[in-house]
Amino acid sequence: MAEEMQQPAQVTLTIDGKSVTVSPEMNLIQAAAKAGIEIPSFCFHHRLSVAGNCRICLVEIEKMPKNQIACSTRVAPGMVVKTRSEKAVKGRQGVMEFLLINHPLDCPICDKAGECILQSHSFHYGTGQSRFEGEKVHGEKQVDLGPHIVFDAERCIKCTRCIRFCDEVTHTHELGFFNRGDHSIIGTFPGRRLDNAYSGCTSDICPVGALTVKEFRFKQRVWFLKNTASICSGCARGCNVHLGINQDRIWRIMPRESEAVNKSWICDEGRLSYERYQLSERLGGARSGPMIGTAAGTARPLMPQAAWEEAAATLGEVARKHGGASIAAITSGHATVEEQAALSELMRTLGGTRTALPVHERGEDDDLLVRKDKTMNSRGALLIGGVNARLDEVVAAVSKGEVRALIVLREDPIGEGGEEAAAALGTLDLLLTLDWRVTPTVKASDLALPVCAYGEMDGSAVNFEGRIQLLRPGLLPHGESDPAWRPLYEMVARLGGEPAPRTFREAFRRSASRPGPLSGLDTPAVGTAGLDLAHAKEP
Amino acid sequence: MTDGRSQTLLLKNLHRSDSATLEAYLQGGGYRALPRALKEMTPEQVVEEVKASGLRGRGGAGFPTGMKWGFMPKGPGPKYLVLNADESEPGTFKDRLLLERDPHLVLEGFLIGCYAVGCHHGFIYIRGEFVRPYQILLQAVQEARAAGYVGKNLLGSGYDLEITIYRGAGAYICGEETALLESLEGKLGHPRLKPPFPAQVGLYGKPTSVNNVETIANVPMIVEMGANWYGNIGRPKNTGPKLFCLSGHVRKPGVYELPLGIPLRELIYQHAGGMLREDRPLKAVVPGGSSVPVLRADQIDVLMDFDSLAAAGTLLGSAGVIVMDDSVCMVDALLNLARFYAHESCGQCTPCREGTGWYVQILERLERGEGKKSDLDLLLDLSDRIQGNTICPLGDAVAMPVRSYVTQFREEFEEHVAAKGCPLAAAAAPGRA
Repeated sequence: MAEEMQQPAQVTLTIDGKSVTVSPEMNLIQAAAKAGIEIPSFCFHHRLSVAGNCRICLVEIEKMPKNQIACSTRVAPGMVVKTRSEKAVKGRQGVMEFLLINHPLDCPICDKAGECILQSHSFHYGTGQSRFEGEKVHGEKQVDLGPHIVFDAERCIKCTRCIRFCDEVTHTHELGFFNRGDHSIIGTFPGRRLDNAYSGCTSDICPVGALTVKEFRFKQRVWFLKNTASICSGCARGCNVHLGINQDRIWRIMPRESEAVNKSWICDEGRLSYERYQLSERLGGARSGPMIGTAAGTARPLMPQAAWEEAAATLGEVARKHGGASIAAITSGHATVEEQAALSELMRTLGGTRTALPVHERGEDDDLLVRKDKTMNSRGALLIGGVNARLDEVVAAVSKGEVRALIVLREDPIGEGGEEAAAALGTLDLLLTLDWRVTPTVKASDLALPVCAYGEMDGSAVNFEGRIQLLRPGLLPHGESDPAWRPLYEMVARLGGEPAPRTFREAFRRSASRPGPLSGLDTPAVGTAGLDLAHAKEP
Repeated sequence: MTDGRSQTLLLKNLHRSDSATLEAYLQGGGYRALPRALKEMTPEQVVEEVKASGLRGRGGAGFPTGMKWGFMPKGPGPKYLVLNADESEPGTFKDRLLLERDPHLVLEGFLIGCYAVGCHHGFIYIRGEFVRPYQILLQAVQEARAAGYVGKNLLGSGYDLEITIYRGAGAYICGEETALLESLEGKLGHPRLKPPFPAQVGLYGKPTSVNNVETIANVPMIVEMGANWYGNIGRPKNTGPKLFCLSGHVRKPGVYELPLGIPLRELIYQHAGGMLREDRPLKAVVPGGSSVPVLRADQIDVLMDFDSLAAAGTLLGSAGVIVMDDSVCMVDALLNLARFYAHESCGQCTPCREGTGWYVQILERLERGEGKKSDLDLLLDLSDRIQGNTICPLGDAVAMPVRSYVTQFREEFEEHVAAKGCPLAAAAAPGRA
């Protein structure tokens, strides 16, 4: 504790005439950034060791005869740094020109164009001209490095970020530096493929278009993508991501900087998790709302309000006839906190006694990001979802006839439980499902309500470490889809409870209105960075 | 190899055909310094003696050896001394001679150096192409081990020392000390960022001192004869004997041992026997290996030592003296040199990786007759952009000669532009278009 309270001595130096006071661990790039001055860099990455090879961050430091690279120079008291002196500019412009002489300048067909650091620094720090008139060194344009990564040797500026990533972050050591001089090339070691679980990150940190992700290659011009700051739904880590969206479709997921959760990385599975949301068949098509009687093949669409009415009425009836214990629910780690809270409130309103949380585990936790719990919010369900039964207990209770109505939120017990589950759930008076997919459970449902898929709604989720974070929408809700909290709270209202919240923020506050780990929270406190819920780690 | 006026110190055993043997070395008075250092001196006293001698590194930079050793931290923990036997500077062949002909002299100096810096495992990094020197050195180490100069409890002093010889794989850059350390660790020979310097973080992350073969060969005589005696050889601040490698258009190319500060003119016209052909006068001299600025024929009245050559705008470097007569086209000579550096650039940092290849393209078109007048200034400007902006000195090592060739022989470069080709090539082959 005493150590935490001890402030490290700060260092004051001058950069371009501005006095700046920073932590002594900082290098000149970081210190300059704090003073609002950009020192360009290619090879420097704040999560990787300093390589100092690109030389674009050359600066002049008083009392030193040669230009120094800002990335490998630590701040020192009284240091006087000049990023715009004639000597610094000449060195930097030289580096910029050198970097481009053998670069193909094929920006028109390069996926990185628009977010390329080489383009950007060329714009800001180059001269706009080249004196090079010779023949460029040519290289392979499409080297298949691994399952997700293609390498363009001509575009590569040999910054070695990708090599250092595989050495220092994944510790998998697939990549090396080969040959010499202007024939230097990045590649995989003999017999190796770039196939670690995080290989896509090499493309993120590639300052140019040398490493591209196969699944995104040639798909979109990045400047048409709108980036939505959200979190990944692929596992319980809840990595902070950007959803790259255009024309109502997610084209890619990229890591969003998060010191607390995922640093600068995401796994390949999470990166490609948007693919699972691109189904051709969705519940609640463009013109259709909730479906009733889907099991009998007599499916007919319903106006949402009519569906809420009917669902509330049927649930109320079952509860009156058979008692609260005849109502059960299956909540989900795929659902948001607001949805789990709404289902929980509905169950309390009905006097329901059994709520289960299906487990979706695959593989093992790794030592970087990947969790075997493949749901983003099982911790949220455990915190506020009213989970009090195992899934098999609920199914058994249905089989025994103890449960007459079952509410299923974003889960597919029949699809995953097979014939046994289908037979059991077939005996229910009411199978009410809220989903965005057309699952076997949806098909067997008496009433199926379409809900928003990932990327279509606001929401919050609590990761395995007890950190609550926000999901943000970038896509329009499909057809008549709603966040599941809306129909659930509408049922609560129709069963005599409070009126349903109208906005996400209202729904969030309602989740936080009960005593518990979320008590008193509001969305601004969560923000885009998320918030560590004290004592929420082990519920 | 030497004239009668000079006493040979480094090459004194070379008159014997069996000079590489332990027996010959002992008969020449060898292995007298090592027992003295081990038994009569503390490591600190050895370092002080070498400091006082004024010995400066013979690998090229001329850094005071004793001071370098003094940077090594005292106290326990592994420390390493590494012998840089990766001699590959074009025009330089002195270390090879020592390794082949007097390996025990090198070894004795290295053993003393290890003792001085507190190293118990010394590494010798030898150029991969030096197959014969490697075999000879290996034989010498075996002989020395059998005689008790290497291994446990050296000469009963209680000091233990192991030696490992490691062969390089053919990269010029591995002569740069930090690239050498990377290579020695089994990695790609890419120079390291400095700081930290090897004396803090060197081989396997431990304090390390890297010394050149010729440098280390000076150590036994300093220990045996004393710093005062040694300091009287040569000139102030440029002390000791020096091996000069004479090559090119001289009558008697070879290695010459002479005190530092010998006039360059004397070196060429007396020791090396003057120009190869009487009808071909001197045109240019590279005084210190291919990496240093070139001198014109009218600039050779200069003393061959670190400070005098620096004052003359060039460097002693590795003392590889390359003599060129007027048959040499300076554009072609520079092109040859640029090709070497482009081939040997490690590729790690931008200015050197990209700039060396660019030099080659410009020089090729000048030599082909497709050059432009602006190419000359472009060459000079590229040198400004490379020099001082790279990780290691290889960038400087090509930028400096390019600048000096273009500046010193500008007319000849301009002639190439005006004549749309090489005037010398045209003169040599008048029939050629």
